[in-house]
Amino acid sequence: MRILEKARLRFRSLLQRPRVEAELDEELRFHLDQLIEENVATGMPLEEARTAAHRMIGGIAQYKEECRDMRHVNLIEDLAQDVRYTIRSLAKSPGFAAVVVATLALGIGANTAIFTIVHGVLLRPLDYPKPDQLLFLTAESPAAGGTRNPLSAPEYSEFQQMNQSFAAVGAYSTGGSAYTTGEVNLTAGDRPLRVRSISVDAQLLNALTLQPQQGRLFREEETARWTGTLPPPIALISHELWQTAFGGRPLVGQKVEIEGRRHEIVGIMPPGADLMDNHTEVWLPLWLHPSMAGQREAHVLYVVARLKDGVTLQAAQTELDAFVKDWGERAGAKGHVPTNRPVLSGDHTLQMRSLQDAIVGSASRTIWVLQAAVGFVLLIVCANLANLMMARAGSRRREFVLRTALGASSGRLLRQSVTEGAVISGTGGLLGLWLANAGVRLLVSAYPDSIPRTHSLSVELPILLVTLCLTIGTALLFGFVSLERGRTSSMATALKEGGRGASGAWRHFTRRGLVIAQVAFAVMLVTGAGLLVKTVYNLTTMDAGFDRSRLVTFSMTLPMANSEADTRAQAYQRVLHRLRSIPGVLGTVAMTGLPPNRTPDAIATPVGNFTSDDGRHVAIVDYYQLVMGDYFRTMGIPIVAGRGFERADGASQGKVAVVNESLARKLWNGQNPIGQRVRPASGMFGATENAWHTVIGVAKDVRQRGIERAAGTELYLSLDQHGVAPPSMNVMLRTTLPPAALSGTIELAVREVDSTVPIVRLRDMDRVFAESIRRPRLLAQLLSGFAGLALLLAAIGTYGVLSYMVTERRREIGIRVALGAARSQVLAQVMRQGLSVTAIGIGFGLAGALIVNRMMASLLFGVQPTDLFTIVCVIATITAMAALASWLPAWRASRLDPNVVLRDE
Amino acid sequence: MAKPTDLVQGTLDLLILKTLSLEPKHGWAVAKRIQQVSQEALQIQQGSLYPALHRLEQQAWIKAEWRETETGRMAKFYSLTRSGRRQLEKELENWVRLSTAINIVVQEV
Repeated sequence: MRILEKARLRFRSLLQRPRVEAELDEELRFHLDQLIEENVATGMPLEEARTAAHRMIGGIAQYKEECRDMRHVNLIEDLAQDVRYTIRSLAKSPGFAAVVVATLALGIGANTAIFTIVHGVLLRPLDYPKPDQLLFLTAESPAAGGTRNPLSAPEYSEFQQMNQSFAAVGAYSTGGSAYTTGEVNLTAGDRPLRVRSISVDAQLLNALTLQPQQGRLFREEETARWTGTLPPPIALISHELWQTAFGGRPLVGQKVEIEGRRHEIVGIMPPGADLMDNHTEVWLPLWLHPSMAGQREAHVLYVVARLKDGVTLQAAQTELDAFVKDWGERAGAKGHVPTNRPVLSGDHTLQMRSLQDAIVGSASRTIWVLQAAVGFVLLIVCANLANLMMARAGSRRREFVLRTALGASSGRLLRQSVTEGAVISGTGGLLGLWLANAGVRLLVSAYPDSIPRTHSLSVELPILLVTLCLTIGTALLFGFVSLERGRTSSMATALKEGGRGASGAWRHFTRRGLVIAQVAFAVMLVTGAGLLVKTVYNLTTMDAGFDRSRLVTFSMTLPMANSEADTRAQAYQRVLHRLRSIPGVLGTVAMTGLPPNRTPDAIATPVGNFTSDDGRHVAIVDYYQLVMGDYFRTMGIPIVAGRGFERADGASQGKVAVVNESLARKLWNGQNPIGQRVRPASGMFGATENAWHTVIGVAKDVRQRGIERAAGTELYLSLDQHGVAPPSMNVMLRTTLPPAALSGTIELAVREVDSTVPIVRLRDMDRVFAESIRRPRLLAQLLSGFAGLALLLAAIGTYGVLSYMVTERRREIGIRVALGAARSQVLAQVMRQGLSVTAIGIGFGLAGALIVNRMMASLLFGVQPTDLFTIVCVIATITAMAALASWLPAWRASRLDPNVVLRDE
Repeated sequence: MAKPTDLVQGTLDLLILKTLSLEPKHGWAVAKRIQQVSQEALQIQQGSLYPALHRLEQQAWIKAEWRETETGRMAKFYSLTRSGRRQLEKELENWVRLSTAINIVVQEV
């Protein structure tokens, strides 16, 4: 009953406010009238009685306020009033409001966007059941400098049989062999498509615990025999490809042409199903060429394993370590297996890490650096806002003191300040959220494939929570800054100096400290950005070992199901020949692996006059490059010794090979490589026998596995001499024409040879290089953006503090000018103030940069975190910024007219 | 203007509730009545009286209604509710206990 009554009263007070207020008025007036009446009764004249009554009763307004307080409705009403007041007062200074809200929106937006990436890429678990049970196995060969390599087929089956810790061990392959490139030709209707593919065995799908959306997955027996004749013509397709290429019509059980063979679609994967961020569209049964399947040296299989329930990572690692010790004995194998003997160059061990870690890999450092950068931006934003608010608080000091004098309690004033902060940061937060959403979308479309797992990024609940925390944090910051302005030592002094604002030393110290912090953080960001820009510059100007200018490339695949090695060779010859006849094309060649970014082949190759440290006459060659045409001359790769391939080689009986400098050094260090012999695994690319080849030349090293990495060992073979060709080749044209002008002609030339073959990745070599350094470029560009923002904010901060100081010291400056100080002296003095604050900031910033930028060391190329040139540039930039920001207030100070200033006071 | 301290506030509530327990009164009458009965010893400040009345009303211990006074003017009359009567008993009990205790302490020696 009582609760209901109380609620009724509360609502009445809130909703029927005018009536309640009128009643309160009436009640108090009644009391006043009674008082007057009483006074009159004692014989006082009416006027006097009235005055006496008013004096006795005191401040009516205050009683009213207290009565309202008793009704507990003030909180809500005050809030509404405060919000209205804030909006009104902000509307009165739109410049201030715009700067504050925009700064906040940028700070919160950048942080939310990057945290969306941190969350979506690094923190969000993989989309498989119990993702933390999934591990990725790699082969590490520290002696040979190879890390995170795939496993060989024999190792894979041995591990599968021997292990105790895993519920399922499966393998997949996307490359490493000329036959599987991670892409296949697929015909949907009559449209030839090039789609992303992956070859998996049934155990892998089992380990991932994927469930088909329709149909079934691969059966054990369908993928058990992953070598020999071609694999069973079955395929799984992704939900996305099913929708886009087949319009979602019933497909399970139907035949679709893939790589020239009709494959039965046995199932459709659920939406979003993928592996290793491969953007898989077609899942094919795992299959290896016989020459690879039996080789311990052919590291071609990527292995994913799922831990048994209850088995810890530690236990599995212990088991793996035990395996590695006596693998050779267990498997009954010798050579190139982890064994209990001194480490040889061909040896390796097995290592495992979480699948998520394997997918994200090196991107995580990039992302954390970005997160740190936006964190600094947010700190600068906060410092800037605190500064702006303090400046505003200074100029509004009189207003606040006046309100205190009129009876506003300090709690009430604080509440209003916090409301003000909440309105501002709320607006900034909402705007920031919108910016973040747009930013993430822009980032993903501007830098596709630069960062893994970005296809499913969205601003989700945890991110909203982070944004909320950021917003509340900044709102509280406002509150505290406002609290500071609430601390009025003496009402009288405050009112007196009112408009000028208090000139307390503490306040100055704080404001300068904030500017120093801003400058310091800006220095750190600009230094980081500078180092990365230099990294990108170094990468772009790096000599990759060949002349990259005026090169246009594309790739094509002649399916092996409907072509033979020799007919393919003739087809490629025809394509090259046709392209060579285009005016403006200076030369054409074809090659199997496109530098500067290809996966290593790591093929065991018998070598004459060479003994490896495990006593065999076999060397692991990192790359085989099978070429057609006048390769070295067209590519601009210098021949260091001997000669390159020549037309006459095609006719000669003796097979020839060219090695790169690294291979020559590794195999015959100190001896003359010309005339030495190697026996490449030619069967791999369709030759009938593994013949001995004579080395005829040494080529300069060409970077193959990224511009920033040292070139591996490479063996060049001429396909012209063998008369065979693998299905997939990269065609390269040395031409004066841009790719766009060539595309029509190229399409025509290829269609004449085979109309079902799509042309893929037609672009010039500059773009290939740009793509190969996309991650450092992304980092450099984003960091430069953030650094620019930091610079701008620091400039605003410096400008704000100085112009505030000038306003405050108008009188002093005026007097000095009146006493004969030169304008240039005033200008110099203000400038000096600004630059001295900046100098301290630069000092702190450089110290901080030296510490923080070490975190980036692994992302840099050809530049040290302590790079002098960068540091000098940073100091120059920041000083220029500070000079610019100080100049305007300084100039204004020097223009002060002492007459006007002194009359104002 | 300082708000009444807890002790005074509590005592003021008791005085108001007690005064209203006899018959409904408006604010002025409540102040006058307390003044008279206490033989001018207790002067109730308007500044405390009305907030207290509003607070008690908000607690639903007293209820208000607009009525005519003897002189024919409209005034806000407060009267005790049922829960207000219980509250009065409770506060009286408290007061007796407290004043007895204080008496014991101050009259010792």
